Amino acid sequence: MTLLEQTKVPRSATRRRRSPLGSRWTPYLFLAPAALFVLVFQAIPLAQEIFLSFTRTTLLNPTRGRWVGLDNFVRIFGDEDFHRTLVTTFVYVIVCVVGAVGSGLAVALLLNRGFRGRGIARALITVPWAAPGIAVALIATWMLNAQYGIVNRFLNAVGLGVPGGAILDSPKYALPAVLATTIWQLFPFTSVVLLSALQSVPHDLTEAATMDGAGRWATFRVVTWQVIKPVVGLLALLMTIWSLRRFELIWLMTKGGPVGRTETLVIDLYAQAFESKELGSAAAIGMVGVVISLIVITGSRLVARAVAKENP
Amino acid sequence: MRRLRIGLTLRIVAVLVVLGVAAFPLYWMLVTALSSNADLFAERPRLLPDFSQLGVFVEGLGDGKVAGWLLNSLLIAAGTTVLSIGLGIPLGYALSRFSFRGKALLTLVLLFTQMLPEALMVVPLFSLFRRFNLLDSLGGLILANVAFVLPIVALILKGAIDGIPRELEEAARVDGARPLAVLTRVNVPLIAPSIAATAVISFFHAWNEYVFAVTFIFTPEKQPASVGIANFIGELGTPIQTVMAVAFMFTLPAVAFYLFAQKYVVAGMTAGAVKG
Amino acid sequence: MKKHRVRRSIVATSSIIGVAALLLGGCTADGGADGGVAKITFAASTFGDPGRGPLLTQWLEEFNKSQSEVQVTAAAVPYPTFGQTVLTQMGSGQGPDLIRFDMPEFEAASDAGLVAPLDDLVDVGKYTLLKQPDQFLVHDGVRHGIIFEASNYAMFYNADLIPKPPTTYEEFTATAKSLTKGDVFGLAFRQTEAEEAGVWQDIFNYVYGFGGKWSDGKNLTINSPDNLKGLQAYKDLYDAKVIPRGADAATFRRMFAEGKVGMELNNGGYVTATRGQNPNLKFSVAPIPFPVRSQGAILAPIVVNEASEEKEAAATFIRWALEPANQVKLQEILGASSVATVTERSAASLTKTPFLPVFDGLTESSLPQIVLGFEAKTPDIRKVVVQNVIAALQGQVDLKTALDRAQQQATELVK
Repeated sequence: MTLLEQTKVPRSATRRRRSPLGSRWTPYLFLAPAALFVLVFQAIPLAQEIFLSFTRTTLLNPTRGRWVGLDNFVRIFGDEDFHRTLVTTFVYVIVCVVGAVGSGLAVALLLNRGFRGRGIARALITVPWAAPGIAVALIATWMLNAQYGIVNRFLNAVGLGVPGGAILDSPKYALPAVLATTIWQLFPFTSVVLLSALQSVPHDLTEAATMDGAGRWATFRVVTWQVIKPVVGLLALLMTIWSLRRFELIWLMTKGGPVGRTETLVIDLYAQAFESKELGSAAAIGMVGVVISLIVITGSRLVARAVAKENP
Repeated sequence: MRRLRIGLTLRIVAVLVVLGVAAFPLYWMLVTALSSNADLFAERPRLLPDFSQLGVFVEGLGDGKVAGWLLNSLLIAAGTTVLSIGLGIPLGYALSRFSFRGKALLTLVLLFTQMLPEALMVVPLFSLFRRFNLLDSLGGLILANVAFVLPIVALILKGAIDGIPRELEEAARVDGARPLAVLTRVNVPLIAPSIAATAVISFFHAWNEYVFAVTFIFTPEKQPASVGIANFIGELGTPIQTVMAVAFMFTLPAVAFYLFAQKYVVAGMTAGAVKG
Repeated sequence: MKKHRVRRSIVATSSIIGVAALLLGGCTADGGADGGVAKITFAASTFGDPGRGPLLTQWLEEFNKSQSEVQVTAAAVPYPTFGQTVLTQMGSGQGPDLIRFDMPEFEAASDAGLVAPLDDLVDVGKYTLLKQPDQFLVHDGVRHGIIFEASNYAMFYNADLIPKPPTTYEEFTATAKSLTKGDVFGLAFRQTEAEEAGVWQDIFNYVYGFGGKWSDGKNLTINSPDNLKGLQAYKDLYDAKVIPRGADAATFRRMFAEGKVGMELNNGGYVTATRGQNPNLKFSVAPIPFPVRSQGAILAPIVVNEASEEKEAAATFIRWALEPANQVKLQEILGASSVATVTERSAASLTKTPFLPVFDGLTESSLPQIVLGFEAKTPDIRKVVVQNVIAALQGQVDLKTALDRAQQQATELVK
């Protein structure tokens, strides 16, 4: 049962009959507490946020906003900095997805061969995923410290030092550094998931392919890839959603700087709300993010459906 | 034969490199915590931990502040776990076993909430919490966290319940058990591994959560460790060794808990889990 | 069947815990008066400072001992997030009763009506307030705060590395350059976006020290030739690599205390903290050797939250703090800063810190780090200016273009 399958709308019409499990109110009793929870803590706040996006409201006086219609949207879309934020978000998401899934697959293939201590190795590589984001941001910042950071010292020692020293303050290297840290935290997840997918690849199939004289690459492409493809798709979707949402790591490492080079939508939205104190434009930025996520989700469902139609 | 050996060696080297990359930052956290000032600011860094500096951990815990943070984190994480599973099981069950009006919509809504960033919701939740007097309380933080993990918990548990044959429930129903009893007696024990997975996911989410905690908690004594530690960044005067020692103490329980529960988590994750 | 009962009780227990969590949430967020004692909180970033923090908390304890009806507790909110945290709370009618603000946040908060007028709460006529800093706390005849701490900027230098402090800008850069070698840097200042408020404090000294200013009171003058000169000096020092680039204040002040940084422009409030980090460090203080004797000052007013339900109790604390004996104590704790009223430096503190008169002599030429005429917009202007200056530091644009852009963006903001 994967996230993709779950998005399929249940064909309740064909199954609508009186449930044998109790009265027709029974399901509502089961789901009422949780649904109420989601309503109160997700739906209502979201509705409020949508409303805010059409107002000019300051954090210093949040109850007294002024209705401004589409002003916030017009303003952010006319702002060059926001265009840069969109590009940065795009780059961040793409590199995270490709990097995390790619490195995860490489590591999974590496660990897929049986060897002694594989269990331990598998447990150890999951450590980054288990480490709290705050702690990761803290150690990454320290490792990248311009004077005393081990990364800079190492780079200087091998003659690859970043001119000026401070990686996280360099418009050129800050985003790559944040990306590397993000992927470092994600690859254990993707590799563990892909590893269990690889283990479900039937052995006799790969063997048969090898017997037929297929090379390693061909075997991978023809057999393995076909089995793990849906999992890769699911991971790509998950990585996209997570990357669109990611906050702590970027905020604590760079706050979106230097010169906005690591400012993704979520960072921009938070800075607008709490630094510039403009709740209205922050909400508008958030709405842009929500629409992008909706497009991603819908797009992935369409792709999944098309794929399902092709190979039933 | 020889080619095989070279391949094997290469693979071992590659595995070791991956392990090194995975573990080094945590190792470096420990080394930094256990460095004297002289080593820290020296021209050549110290690469091995200096265990004569172990006192830094005692110092970090010294005034009870850090222990208080960790305790708050634990309370928040435990509360979030219990509440989200308590609400998630019935919801997952309803989604799996019943057909009812609005089911498709509800499923979509649950999925949709997975994309909402906390940073977007922090402002409206702040005003909501103010109205209900939930600001500056661990309870309020638990509620906010549950709102964010409940959907994924329910979806995972729905998937697990889907896998249980209905016949098993029929037997219980013949005994005259009511729906809730069927759920608790038949389904819950069978989906225990998935419950464990969702427990780990909710616990982690709450243990790591930062945005809500930094905005909703005012009293320093009520801060969880995530906020306390993040505040070290840029705070004047806290030596980096203490910062790293505290961060290490914050990371270790999470990693240990994770390694302990990994079997379940991997199952849950592969079942389409989301860390949140 | 026993097994089932156990399971049922597990479910029952977990739902009870869930409900309990809900209730817990509802009940713990109170405060205020009980038993006739007004409990108030006082939020200040200084409570977390090394050296000064614990002493300030003790000072609050003295107040608590002297009172039977008011008790104050310290809330140490860290400096980097102070404005954001406290303003968010105050904006929604929450927050501490007493707050020690920095000027930019003070101006924004009082402009938004979040700060209680003090005229009816404290009779300032009874005290001899220091006029120069105090004038900035009254807006259109309404008093919004009392100075808690006023601290002038001066040049801190390591007396072992620098026997004779530089007296001109040329000597200053020459000293910085000659000291920089190996793991020692001649100078340090803030230059990262993560420390926006800190960069603003630091560049303020360069702008005013070269005869510039942020506004003429009516219009912004961010890109004036004098500002460009001052900021060019700041950028030249950055480019000369005489500062530890990328180091935040926490790091480079530690480095200063360890003798790895030669000079630093800092305010008097940091004397105690530096001693706290390394009691053996030999350092001294001289005026900033820039062409014009004009520098920033940290003005930190104490204010009463408009949303506080204990305004009178909060005012009681302010009145106590203004009593001469308590002012003297506060000043001793704060180090080289001055307080609200005129106080005499004791002979003992003069022996311990012979450079105290240097700071006192700078009071007349020191200015709060706000944009005159656009006080309430200071935080927004600050963001624009700092971002653009950093873009220039990072070589994204030349400084002139950056300042022109800042001028244009900030003018847009204050329209």
